[in-house]
Amino acid sequence: MTLTLGKSATATRGGALSLEWRADGSLWAMWGEEERAVSVRRCFPWTEPARHLSLRDTDEEEFAFVRDPADLDQRSRAALERALAVAGFVFEVTQVLEIEEEVEIRRWRVETQQGPRTFQTRLDDWPRTLPHGGLLIRDLAGDLYHLVAPERLDRESRELLWAFVD
Amino acid sequence: MSTQQQLDDHIIERYTAQPTRLPAELRRQIEHAWQGAPVQLYALADLDQSLRLTVAWLALGPRHIAVAQRESTGWHVRSVERSRIEAIREAPGLSANTLTILGASGEPALALLRYTHRQRRAFENIRFVLEEQIQGHERELVDGDADRLYAESVARPIRDAQALVSGRQTAVIRRLLGYLKPYRRQLTLGMAAATVITLVSLVPPYLAGHLIDRVVRPAQAGTLSLVQAAKVAWLAVAAMALVYLVRQPAVHVRLRLMSIIGEWVARDLRSELYEHIQRLSLAFFSRKRTGSLITRVSADTDRLWDFLAFGVVDVSLSLVMLAGLGTVLLTLDWRLGLVMTLPVPVFCWLIYRHSEEITRLFIRAWRKWSRVTDVLSDTIPGIRVVKAFNQEQREIERFGERNEDVTAEFNRIHASWTRFWPLLMLGVHMMTVAVWVFAVPRLLGSGAQLPVGTFVSFLLYTTMFGAPIEVIGQMARTINRATTSAHRVFEVLDTEPEIRDVAEPVRLEPVHGRVTFEHVTFGYDGVRQVLRGVSFDVTPGELIGLVGPSGGGKTTIVNLIARFYDVSGGTIRIDGVDLRRLDTGHYRRQIGMVLQDPYLFHGTVLENIRYGSQEAPLNQVVAAAQAANAHDFITKLQHGYDTVVGERGHTLSGGERQRVSIARAILHDPRILILDEATSSVDTETEREIQQALERLVAGRTVFAIAHRLSTLRKASRLFVIEDGRLIEHGTHAELLAKPEGQYRHLYELQLQLQ
Ligand SMILES: Nc1ncnc2c1ncn2[C@@H]1O[C@H](COP(=O)(O)OP(=O)(O)O)[C@@H](O)[C@H]1O
Ligand SMILES: [Mg+2]
Repeated sequence: MTLTLGKSATATRGGALSLEWRADGSLWAMWGEEERAVSVRRCFPWTEPARHLSLRDTDEEEFAFVRDPADLDQRSRAALERALAVAGFVFEVTQVLEIEEEVEIRRWRVETQQGPRTFQTRLDDWPRTLPHGGLLIRDLAGDLYHLVAPERLDRESRELLWAFVD
Repeated sequence: MSTQQQLDDHIIERYTAQPTRLPAELRRQIEHAWQGAPVQLYALADLDQSLRLTVAWLALGPRHIAVAQRESTGWHVRSVERSRIEAIREAPGLSANTLTILGASGEPALALLRYTHRQRRAFENIRFVLEEQIQGHERELVDGDADRLYAESVARPIRDAQALVSGRQTAVIRRLLGYLKPYRRQLTLGMAAATVITLVSLVPPYLAGHLIDRVVRPAQAGTLSLVQAAKVAWLAVAAMALVYLVRQPAVHVRLRLMSIIGEWVARDLRSELYEHIQRLSLAFFSRKRTGSLITRVSADTDRLWDFLAFGVVDVSLSLVMLAGLGTVLLTLDWRLGLVMTLPVPVFCWLIYRHSEEITRLFIRAWRKWSRVTDVLSDTIPGIRVVKAFNQEQREIERFGERNEDVTAEFNRIHASWTRFWPLLMLGVHMMTVAVWVFAVPRLLGSGAQLPVGTFVSFLLYTTMFGAPIEVIGQMARTINRATTSAHRVFEVLDTEPEIRDVAEPVRLEPVHGRVTFEHVTFGYDGVRQVLRGVSFDVTPGELIGLVGPSGGGKTTIVNLIARFYDVSGGTIRIDGVDLRRLDTGHYRRQIGMVLQDPYLFHGTVLENIRYGSQEAPLNQVVAAAQAANAHDFITKLQHGYDTVVGERGHTLSGGERQRVSIARAILHDPRILILDEATSSVDTETEREIQQALERLVAGRTVFAIAHRLSTLRKASRLFVIEDGRLIEHGTHAELLAKPEGQYRHLYELQLQLQ
């Protein structure tokens, strides 16, 4: 038995899905008769970030599902790219400067592509290893820090990170 | 400024590298642009449009919002009138959130801000106020609260993880030592004994040297008569014996006293902690993990015992020992003395370095170890799923892999210390060799003269360096571990209960059961209101059914009636008296609660039923159980009412536990009874039995009953429909059903369809 997905961008509801950015600063999805301001949610942010995207309206309901952006027209794809950049944004760590343990929390000082940053994690919260390699750290407030390739960082960063990578 | 806010400011400064306040000059500039209207809330937008870190602010006033961006010349402030705002959108992302404030549809956004999760609570506060405004409910904000709310929203996650900001280690140690004060006498005695041990152990090597130089050699050379020599020699032997006779009792006194004092202090801490924990408000418990509170009372106080009983003495005496050894050696012979003492700090430093290295290894091993325990805590409770999907082999392999992994890490640790200690001992032995190297020529007569006895004393003293060096080297770690535990303990002790009685509380004897809500607003944190102005008046003896969608605020209402939290705005009156003026303990004794997931303590059924009323005679216990429809199944248990239940005892079904807890409430005979989804998790037959029990229970008291199945509440005198923090409908079952567009009617019809 094979399972097929119900909705896909080009299947039901007739007509093609198209996307655009409007002056109100939001991404709008137009599909058949309907149009709504939507935000993008990746279904597999780490396993397959480029595909399987859920477009959700302001009530957090799925308005459309994009299995592959390649199915969209050129303009919609560009609009989607822009929305994905914001939705998928995480800090990209380029250098680890300090990792210190304190009572109950671990304090990190890092350099990121977005600028210098300090954050904290619980002592028993460990960085997560991602499917395609790389490391993901979640701080106490919920912000995410991504290390694409810990093994390619400078020597000092690697030393500091040693206890946290396999 | 409150201490809470000082702590929050301190956390922001220490941990986030962002401003603790809206800059004063910017605030003035904004308020100037608003003709003097105050900034009531603000938030930091820390990402710019291209998602780089930046500093921009969103401020909210009574009639405006303002967005401030830094420019080369100062702040660029753009104000928008709040009346123009028609919609507001928040798009959450993995780490970047976007808040869009919109005017009339189709127009460009009035403001668009991006920020990380760290700032999200502060934005939530502003968004809440604006959304209320859009829905037509004006929210009055207190002026002068902006700084506190901003600081709290940013610092909160860190404060919840670790309330006491670690800083001055010495202050913590001093506070800890303060617990020794009541035992000053024993402590002095123990310390004195320890000092005696240390000093006395310096004597034997000295005696040995003295005997050789002053007795044996003169006697052999014939300069001392044999009789004389024998007399002195025997005296020395006697002195030796005396040394050990003094030393061993001192060892006994020291070990005994210090371990006992340590136990006493640990006991004091444990009871102080437990007592304090019992007093703390519910809010504290929802912030902390149960496990972490349990380890504070058990493991942390135990570790402090270890530190006080042995750590403190060991460290201070090792210092005394090293100082004593150094002095003795340098006075005996300063040249050899220097050879022995100079390397000591180097050794201490090496040990310190090594323990740092081991710590690093331990973090890694700990991480791998948690991967092993993860598999266990996953698959043992989930064993049915594992078997159903035939995944045993895969789980065995997964565990095996991680087990291998962690073993490799532990072996790495072993490799490290087994390499280090022999090397260090080699160093210590080299010190002895160095003594030989410097001493031999002098013994043979070249250079400064060296008596053989002094040389022998030196050799004996060399063996005494090892132990204190090790203690000093480990000192940093010992102190670190103790301060960590002390921090965790003091953090709890320093938390103030949020619910406190007024100076002269009112006691209602008895409570009649009139409950009045006057414009009650309440939020668990920040500005977001869970109750948005609820008013009602319930007369004694009424049965009130609270219904509505989940998340509406029903449980919150009953939590407030039980005074688990205090209201943020408005007043709750019991028999006309403000709830906050009542004696909380006395008042709570007159309320009863039956919750959805009733909690039975480890103990017999009897003890559980009697939990709130220990004095109740047995016939009343039986009567209560009968009224709760529990008597029947209890008597069927092997030990009847004496059957042990709870986590490790006989497990009762959900419905049975529910009925035991109802019996508990009946026996308690409360004036106000709260039933929070008491029948939601049981089957229909059990529900019917519980239903009957409840009908007996509600007679003659004020009852608030929350239920999912609306049929349960048909007997209610009035029904309150709670939705989104508001009381939207009230009346009897029939009255509410008669409303054609009513929410209750809608819910009721939905449930009928499901049946
Ligand atoms: N301890 C808490 N801390 C923070 N928010 C809470 C807490 N308890 C409940 N809430 C929130 O308060 C709102 C009302 O919850 P509750 O009173 O439990 O609703 P109900 O009982 O009607 O289902 C929900 O949005 C819930 O998320
Ligand atoms: Mg509830």
